[in-house]
Amino acid sequence: MKLKTPNLPGRLAALLLLLLPVAARGAGELNLFGWSEYVPQPVLEGFTRETGIKVNFETYSSNEEMLAKLVAGGGRYDLVQPSDYTAEAMIRRKLLQPLDRARLAGLGNLAPEFNGRAHDPEGRYTVPYMSGSVGIVVNTEKVKTPVRGYRDVFQAAHRDRIVVVNDSRELVSWALYALGQPVNTVDAASLARVRPLLAEWIKLVKVFDSDSPKTALLNGDVDLGVVWSGEAALLWRENRKFQYILPAEGAHQFVDVLAIPAGARNVAEAHRFIDYILRPEVSRQISAAFPYTNPNLAARRLLTPDELANPASYPQGGKLESFRDIGRAAADIDRLVTDLKSAK
Amino acid sequence: MTSPPVARDPGARPGAVAWLLLTPLLAWLALFVVVPALLLFGCSLGERDEFGQVLWGFSLENYARLLDPVYLRIFVRSLGFAALTTALCLLLGYPVAYQIARAAPRVRELLLLLVMVPFWTSFLVRTYAWMAILREEGLLNALVAWLHPAWAPLGLLYTPVAVVTGLVYSYLPFLILPVYASVEKLDGALIEAAHDLGAGPWRVFPSVILPLTLPGITAGVTLVFVPAVAMFAVTDLLGGARVPLIGNVIQNQFLQARDWPFGAALGVALLGLFLVSQLVLRALRPRGALRG
Amino acid sequence: MAAPPPSLLSPAAGSRLLQAGLRGWTGLVLLFLYVPVIVLAVYSFNSARLGVTWEGFSGRWYTELLHQAPLQRAAFNSLVVATATTLLSVVLGTSAAWLLHRYRFPGRDLIESLVNLPMVMPEILLGISLLILFALAGVGLGFITVIIGHVTFSFPFVLVAVRARLQGLDPALEEAARDLGATPWGAFRHVILPALRPAILAGGLMAFLLSWDELIVTYFTASAASATLPLKVFGMAKVGLNPVLNALSALFLLVTLAGVAFSAYLRRGAR
Repeated sequence: MKLKTPNLPGRLAALLLLLLPVAARGAGELNLFGWSEYVPQPVLEGFTRETGIKVNFETYSSNEEMLAKLVAGGGRYDLVQPSDYTAEAMIRRKLLQPLDRARLAGLGNLAPEFNGRAHDPEGRYTVPYMSGSVGIVVNTEKVKTPVRGYRDVFQAAHRDRIVVVNDSRELVSWALYALGQPVNTVDAASLARVRPLLAEWIKLVKVFDSDSPKTALLNGDVDLGVVWSGEAALLWRENRKFQYILPAEGAHQFVDVLAIPAGARNVAEAHRFIDYILRPEVSRQISAAFPYTNPNLAARRLLTPDELANPASYPQGGKLESFRDIGRAAADIDRLVTDLKSAK
Repeated sequence: MTSPPVARDPGARPGAVAWLLLTPLLAWLALFVVVPALLLFGCSLGERDEFGQVLWGFSLENYARLLDPVYLRIFVRSLGFAALTTALCLLLGYPVAYQIARAAPRVRELLLLLVMVPFWTSFLVRTYAWMAILREEGLLNALVAWLHPAWAPLGLLYTPVAVVTGLVYSYLPFLILPVYASVEKLDGALIEAAHDLGAGPWRVFPSVILPLTLPGITAGVTLVFVPAVAMFAVTDLLGGARVPLIGNVIQNQFLQARDWPFGAALGVALLGLFLVSQLVLRALRPRGALRG
Repeated sequence: MAAPPPSLLSPAAGSRLLQAGLRGWTGLVLLFLYVPVIVLAVYSFNSARLGVTWEGFSGRWYTELLHQAPLQRAAFNSLVVATATTLLSVVLGTSAAWLLHRYRFPGRDLIESLVNLPMVMPEILLGISLLILFALAGVGLGFITVIIGHVTFSFPFVLVAVRARLQGLDPALEEAARDLGATPWGAFRHVILPALRPAILAGGLMAFLLSWDELIVTYFTASAASATLPLKVFGMAKVGLNPVLNALSALFLLVTLAGVAFSAYLRRGAR
């Protein structure tokens, strides 16, 4: 039998050639680490078209995930999108570098209420990207009783018809709100107080989903839930039967920000991206795709009346509060919720 | 007539070329298997600081936390799910592997490829397809409503049934392939001999075929059971993240609670469990079994 | 006494009921394997964006694929990673199988156990431990780290396949080659290696598939620039079933099935 000798050198060369284009670093690159489905593709493409800077977009679905990879990998990312309380921890831990505000001409477009916030009072490290809240969404065709707060959601009547975000801290904070306790004081005592109520609530939930809670609502597998306002806004756009209500006991308002990690390499490109986002037309594009609360006033002026009327995007009134960093208590919260979930 | 099974050659001592070939293997194993495992163990002895960084040290606190009934219950539940999945894979997959091995050579390869082709698509998209099938207004319920309206709607999605279905679906090929390899090597003469001695098919299977295909079954069971214990994506999607399994807990430690040392301890415990089970299996395996 | 039933392994008449039962069972299981695949293929033609209800027949998601540069980039990355992984796994796995089979050296049993470890180690642990390793060593994440991770859990599969085949080989083969004057390396290259080809191919195919669809280890060892297809799909699929992904999967399916059909056709001609 005639044997074909394997052309090993040839194959190795081919493999190397294959790897070459991906190994070569292009001039002008940006490593963006952001939430999954928070930065629309057209925005990234528009940026690349205008500046020639290639954007490598990697995603995460929780702040902790982002921190874990940032701290472990180090220096690979040029721009991150933490939530306010995470940014607070990062600033304290010197994980972020100060911004060169002179390069960010569009800062004036931001609404004043987003300046001077607790996590970054002088705005030295962060620029607000999008804001939102965590509230109640109700399929008004299925749920006829009025739902005004957390306690109205977690009722025996709604057993197995509830969806909530799969975020342990959120769950605990809702229970704290319902009990009238301060939401940023998380210690053994407050967790003990919250435990019995949360144990009851968790038994009633059908789905825990942080990424796309709207899916379960759209599919009709659940009738109401406590979800991110952006999800509720998308539901309202799809069908007006999905109403959004800010819980009466109090609700979490978050501001997601853009920040540059301390070890970033492409700092100039990162600044250009932030400035690009601050432009009203671009910010408007983001709102169109992800209807959270846009902190950019100039962009808001470009929105349609329909978009502004979305009760989830621009809710009226409500007792809104920001989360602060709670450090090690996050592990205790996780343990509590894991315990309660597995007790079913 | 096929040759008798080959006795295992104890082997010669390696020459220069062999040592040359051995070095990359040893280096790879040392660097990317042993060292990371040791690092994991080392991490499990550490502690989490205020900001979620690892404080390397020497503390058995994480292992003490493991013994908390919360986590023990989760361990047991995960093992249960994995065992059920494995049993179902065996039930579904063994006959298929057997049937494929019996087929004509060309058909055999075709069937094998057919079994593997669905796994060329993204695992996530396949799981989402299961959600579309199992959900309340999904395809299965549409079928049930058409056939027997009284039973509809079957609330299968976000229940353990959905999770097990997803797990079985993901791991079935990992059982079929090793079992197929074992069945394919079966010596037909042995079966013939059994028949000539008067045994019917229901006797031949447990006394002849089953023991001879045991290596394939063992391999298949290992390849299904072990990953199934640590699976978390399927349980999150199809189970609505309602019931935490050990895979979820470990993932949470690394990505949510950022308590890497505790996660590492959980991982080491899991690995320890498997090493123990491997040792037990090895001790139980009958010596001098025919090489199948 | 009635004549004993003929061998179960004979293609000719066996216990009819058993045969029919086995055939039916196989059919059912194959159906089970393909139902979700068919569903996802059908939904790829659903004109509705949120993929919940069937709204109409549309091929727009396929044309949409052409505009999805990040997806295409990720698919290319996956191809590079899977190819490199397969080549390295085959080399490492085959040589390891040969060495473990043929030679005796101190620590052989230990090596055998170690080699099985990545195959059974939960992926999340492998990913995490590699991440810790790379972080401590100061190695940046990228293609190299991803390929390292993939090879580590793939090569044991090649090894197992080749090893099994080696054990079935007649040792007389190698002896005969040596008697005819070949060096050990020559004997290996011209006699053993060709005999191992089916196992190498099977193992290599397994390694390719494992690498192609791998998510968890990749998650911990990849960078933004080296994101593979499963990573990208994970990010996109999380926010709900995106029909573009269905179209992509259906396309891959089509390509694979076509490949299978083509190779079957070739095989028929060659026989």
